[in-house]
Amino acid sequence: MINLSDFLLVSAGLFCIGLYVILTKRNSIQVLIGIELMLNAAILNLVAFGKYDKISNGGQTFALFAIVLAAATTAVALAIILNVYKKYKTIDPGKTDHLKD
Amino acid sequence: MQDFLTHIDTLTTKFALTAVLLPLLAAIVNYVLPAKSKITGWISTLAILGSAVLCAFIFAKVWNQHEVHQQQLWFSIGDTKVYAGILLNNLSVLMLVLVSLVALPVHIYSTAYMKEDARYGRYFTYLSFFCFSMLALVVTDNLVLFYAFWELVGFSSYLLIGFWFTKPKAILANKKAFIMNRIGDIGLLTAIITLFVSCHTFDITQLFGANALVKTIAIPTNWQYLACAGLFLAVAAKSAQFPLHTWLPDAMEGPTSISALIHAATMVAAGVFLLGRFYPFFTPDELTILAIIGTFTAFMAATIALTQNDLKRILAYSTISQLGFMVAAMGIGAYSSSLFHLATHAFFKCLLFLVAGIVIHEMQHIKEENNLEIDPQNIQTMGGLRKKLPLTFIAAVIGGFALIGFPLTSGYLSKDSILVRSFEWAEDRNGIEKLLPLVLFLTSWLTAFYVARMVYKVFFGEFKPAISNPKINLHISDGGWQYKLPLILLAIGSLFPLFSYNPLASENAWLVKGFSSADTANELSIYQTYIPVLVNLGVVLVLYWAYTIYIGQRRLPISATAFLVRFSYNEWYIDRSYQRIIVKPVLALSRFACWIDPNIIDGFLHLLSKITLAFAKVTEWLDKNIVDGFLHLLAALVLGIGNFARRFQNGKVQYYLFSMLAIILAIFIFKILI
Repeated sequence: MINLSDFLLVSAGLFCIGLYVILTKRNSIQVLIGIELMLNAAILNLVAFGKYDKISNGGQTFALFAIVLAAATTAVALAIILNVYKKYKTIDPGKTDHLKD
Repeated sequence: MQDFLTHIDTLTTKFALTAVLLPLLAAIVNYVLPAKSKITGWISTLAILGSAVLCAFIFAKVWNQHEVHQQQLWFSIGDTKVYAGILLNNLSVLMLVLVSLVALPVHIYSTAYMKEDARYGRYFTYLSFFCFSMLALVVTDNLVLFYAFWELVGFSSYLLIGFWFTKPKAILANKKAFIMNRIGDIGLLTAIITLFVSCHTFDITQLFGANALVKTIAIPTNWQYLACAGLFLAVAAKSAQFPLHTWLPDAMEGPTSISALIHAATMVAAGVFLLGRFYPFFTPDELTILAIIGTFTAFMAATIALTQNDLKRILAYSTISQLGFMVAAMGIGAYSSSLFHLATHAFFKCLLFLVAGIVIHEMQHIKEENNLEIDPQNIQTMGGLRKKLPLTFIAAVIGGFALIGFPLTSGYLSKDSILVRSFEWAEDRNGIEKLLPLVLFLTSWLTAFYVARMVYKVFFGEFKPAISNPKINLHISDGGWQYKLPLILLAIGSLFPLFSYNPLASENAWLVKGFSSADTANELSIYQTYIPVLVNLGVVLVLYWAYTIYIGQRRLPISATAFLVRFSYNEWYIDRSYQRIIVKPVLALSRFACWIDPNIIDGFLHLLSKITLAFAKVTEWLDKNIVDGFLHLLAALVLGIGNFARRFQNGKVQYYLFSMLAIILAIFIFKILI
């Protein structure tokens, strides 16, 4: 029998992997993938907690919205990465450090 | 009639006031005039001449008649009213006449004697001021004013003794005179304060007059002794009695005319005058002490005068000796004889000093003309001057005979009267008091010897420098009328007619009669016949003996290096023992005080400054290290935090994210731990 806590553990594992990817990868695409992983961990949580709302299925509905939003943000993020590459000729987040100015 | 008498009295008082103030006026005018102006001498002389005439007039009015005493309120403190005024009785008018009459020839003499001096005007300023102080001293009726003028006499003599202030010895001499007189002044002040405390008045007539308060009020014995000791000191200092006599020989550093005035009528007479004024105050025991002091002083000074070589020092010691006679006479109750001797002594001592002045002046002249290496005051280098200075010689002989007390001179009358009275006094007494007349008797023979020695050495024999060097020019003479007139006047004053029509009996002298009421017993006794005879026989023998020694070249019976001769020549070692006993410890004390100042007091200050310095250094260290250190620490902390925080701003996205993660983790861990 798969319990709620198993879902949460998988979610937490996904979140940690995403976090690790975000913090360590030298490629902005991979960082984006990490973000997606963390987002999916959160969506998994929404779906898992949806079992307490079986009448209106609020969790599943929120998950769908979140997926749509994630697709949108990914599209925007990819556009940003493309522009960054155009400007700096690199997509290594460690080298595009002009944020500090 | 009463109104008329009061009017006459007021007139006399006004005359006295004028007589006293004339010299002061002269002093003020002379002070304003330029120092070299020759007119100053005549201003002073005219002033003193005016005073002398007025004094003679006052004398005629007051002598042996009712005394004049006028006063007015000076100031009042609470209920105490202090009056000041003029008291003219026999004593004051005698002193008035004496001072002005003796000062007059001195003034005339000074106009010639000081004419080469660059500070001629200043000399007469001081001289007039001196006369003013002395005249004021004798007429004042108030003890406070008496003290003030007493001080002024001391002060003006200080100015005159140190008149040639470029001579170091003159400075030392006037300092010595001043300090010794200060000792006496303290005594007088003590006496005046004590009298005021006991009798509540400063008035001399109330204190010592007809109903003398000092006799009627029972003054506590201790206070009486204190006041009496103060008066002894005052008299000893002013009248040069043992032990405060040493200033007088040193005072010879002043101009000789000043020595004449100091020794005759002004300075030293003030002490005897003080005794005369305060006479009712003394008890018989105290008078006996006075007599002993006076006799001892007379004898001591006479023995010192025997061997001195300085002409003026011989005369100075003779003055001390004669003052001893006067004080002794006061002590034995011979009040009239004492004042009589004061008066006669004033004339012949002034005469002798003026003679000495001429001799020294001429010796100085010879020395400068012939470039000799001699001391113009040393009698060993003189001799044979009687041919060159005939008038001076005659004056010296008259003065010398008067000093010895030879018949036909005034000195005979007064000195023999003292001797006779002393024998009468000692008749019913025992012990040391019996000795006093004999000592005085011996002293008069000693006087004869030193006077003879002085006159023989100066005026007889050969002029000493001329023996070895016959080519010496002796262009000397008695001098102008300013020298001759005073000599003649004073020589006449030194003979008997001025004082008594009978040259051999003193008891009929007008001066003695004027004071006889103050005397104790005054009956005729056998002493009056044979004492004068004995004295004068002895004197003639002594004179002859001295003649054989100094003219006849007989050998002295005592060698020049014998202890007694050295004892006398060194003035009984009194000055030296004072030097050793008083001056040296005082100097040592001063030096000690002087040492304390830079070492102890300054040392303490230095120590304090060092402590402050050390403290300042500690503070400085604290400031630099603790206070600044704290600030530096703060700054370093801020810097460190800044540097630490800067690292988060490196613009790397992942780093920011990691930071956020770390912070959130930290918050959660923190929450769990709490």
